[in-house]
Amino acid sequence: MTEREKARRALLALSSAALALPGYSRASPPPREPGADYRYFAYREADVPAEKTSNPQRRRYDINGHAVRIFAPLGSRWSIDGELLVETMSGASPWFITPGANGQPVQVLSGATISEERTDLLLKLTHHGRALDVGGSVGVSEENDYQAINLGIEAAWEPGEAQWAYRLGLGLSFDELEPTEGASARFPERIAQAQKESATLSGSVSRVLDRRAMLQIGGSLTRHSGHLADPYKLVFVENQAVNDARPRQRSIGVLMARYRRHFAPRTASLHLDYRLTVDDWDIESHTLEFAWHQALGPDWQLVPGLRYYSQSQAEFYAPYFESAPSNGLASSDYRLSPYGALSARLDARRSWGRVQLSFGWEHYRADGSFALGQVTTENPGLLEFDLLSVGFSYRFD
Amino acid sequence: MGSVCQLQGWPANNEIWRQAMLAAHAEVARLESKYSRYRSDSVLSRINAEAVRGAVAVDAETAGLLNYAAQAFAHSDGLFDISSGVLRRAWDFSSRRLPVEASLAPLLAQVGWQRVHWNGRAIKLKPGMELDLGGLVKEYAADCIAAVLRAIGLRHGLINLGGDIAVIGPHPDGQAWQVGVVHPRRAGALIAQLPLSQGGLATSGDYERFMMVAGRRYCHLLNPHTGWPVDELAAVTVVAEKSLIAGTSASIAMLKGRAGLDWLSGLGLAYFAVDRELRSYCSDLVPTDPVT
Repeated sequence: MTEREKARRALLALSSAALALPGYSRASPPPREPGADYRYFAYREADVPAEKTSNPQRRRYDINGHAVRIFAPLGSRWSIDGELLVETMSGASPWFITPGANGQPVQVLSGATISEERTDLLLKLTHHGRALDVGGSVGVSEENDYQAINLGIEAAWEPGEAQWAYRLGLGLSFDELEPTEGASARFPERIAQAQKESATLSGSVSRVLDRRAMLQIGGSLTRHSGHLADPYKLVFVENQAVNDARPRQRSIGVLMARYRRHFAPRTASLHLDYRLTVDDWDIESHTLEFAWHQALGPDWQLVPGLRYYSQSQAEFYAPYFESAPSNGLASSDYRLSPYGALSARLDARRSWGRVQLSFGWEHYRADGSFALGQVTTENPGLLEFDLLSVGFSYRFD
Repeated sequence: MGSVCQLQGWPANNEIWRQAMLAAHAEVARLESKYSRYRSDSVLSRINAEAVRGAVAVDAETAGLLNYAAQAFAHSDGLFDISSGVLRRAWDFSSRRLPVEASLAPLLAQVGWQRVHWNGRAIKLKPGMELDLGGLVKEYAADCIAAVLRAIGLRHGLINLGGDIAVIGPHPDGQAWQVGVVHPRRAGALIAQLPLSQGGLATSGDYERFMMVAGRRYCHLLNPHTGWPVDELAAVTVVAEKSLIAGTSASIAMLKGRAGLDWLSGLGLAYFAVDRELRSYCSDLVPTDPVT
């Protein structure tokens, strides 16, 4: 046997002995480690400024929520996600707007203190293939005046070692409204019952740009139909408060781009997101969001973030109407008004092995002067809120 | 493992990274508790304590490592020998004194894998014998961590376990990792850089533990036939399909001396080697970037 032949056999012997080692042939682990998350959050809207309302009671909405999520593998190819959200809401919300003494709009808040509960349950089943994950979800949402069923399917495809990833999703929602005191002696004009549906088709493409950067471009199309007006809101038309009236159809198109860039490996990354929304109610909105993920040692992570938002108004929106619109559509909902908003947030996370604690705070403020375009009359019901959250998550073995 | 474990990678998200860190730590802890000779409750310590009295049955993983060690012994003319650890008793590298031949002879009599009774399931040692898997467990651990992390879903990353390297996958853009080869005589300096996009890399060198006596370097890599340290090569770095194979081949080449470089070429493995005179040798299989 030549030296070369001897050496060749040596490598063959070492390779086959090595490849027989059990450490090298790991059975594919379950598609995901089982875990559980819990989150408590407190959402507090700021009082309406005294000069913008005629109500002596200026307090708005508070929400306290508890969210629990569990996820676990089912065999080697499937996984299940379950999410339960329970929220209690109380407080007053914008009801309608009247012209004030100098023509300035004055907000009237719903007098009664509402206190209700919302329960949301979502179950999702995912099949994990070699490169393709396909999931289906069913959700129910229930309030004393509202019920909804959501269905969704989603596919995520990451072909091999390629630098591209694709996502496609379809969501459907069927909602049933039964407003409190609808068609009652107190609110004879309020609708008693209504339905609405929506369908959303969404897709995105992600591309690894280089070792440190990733870009995702996506979009969605949503079609709402049915009773899209807010049954609790009124609008001042010719000095009379009448029901909020909106088209029975709404189509929304969204385009978004997400950029991620890692700096020193694993210690810092930049998240930059932009979103453009256009709909056939004439609202166009821009959202620009920036977040910096900073690791502080192996266990701490700090994430400060800033978000800017600006939207134009719906074509049938006005704070109040001096003459009745010819198409009968009218709304003074602040969510359809022109405004801009700024929010700042800070999230902190601390890990202890399988346990992670998180804390988050966000302050949001909407203002007519923050909008990209000129806002001549600002809606007096624009929001300002604080959102505080505390979370706990655990990953099982 | 008594050395730094470094994980570099581009995880798809933070959750995968968190899982990866947990899994890597768990794998190191698992192998350490099983094969450390410093832990009295390890599988290895149990073999050393009990296999001189009678055959000790071992689990499949330990059997795999012993089979591998047997192949390495057979194909290295007996130079790679996991029973040679007892020779260290004669060598105290902090004493700066050479052992007397009289102290080496009885230890040499206790060395020799050919004297071990190993049937693939159970092992029996001759009195005075001891096994040490230190020459392969770290490399094996690097490969194991890479396998675990690949299974978790990490695609782009590199495990560096005290210089023994296993690749999980290349950078997201397909580029190879650049692995620095340490200079055998200048602490903290690199002597070369090797591109590595798959498989493993390991280095064997005379600079980790050694003593200088009368201007001559005596290192911890001991020839199991003579009981004396290797003295021709200063360091050998090998690239192979697995970090384990790279590490074994690098150790055997160090033990063979300059002839080891021809032996590596015969294996068809890429290597970078430096001799005692600091001349470097490089297989034509790897483009190296010399570091100046």
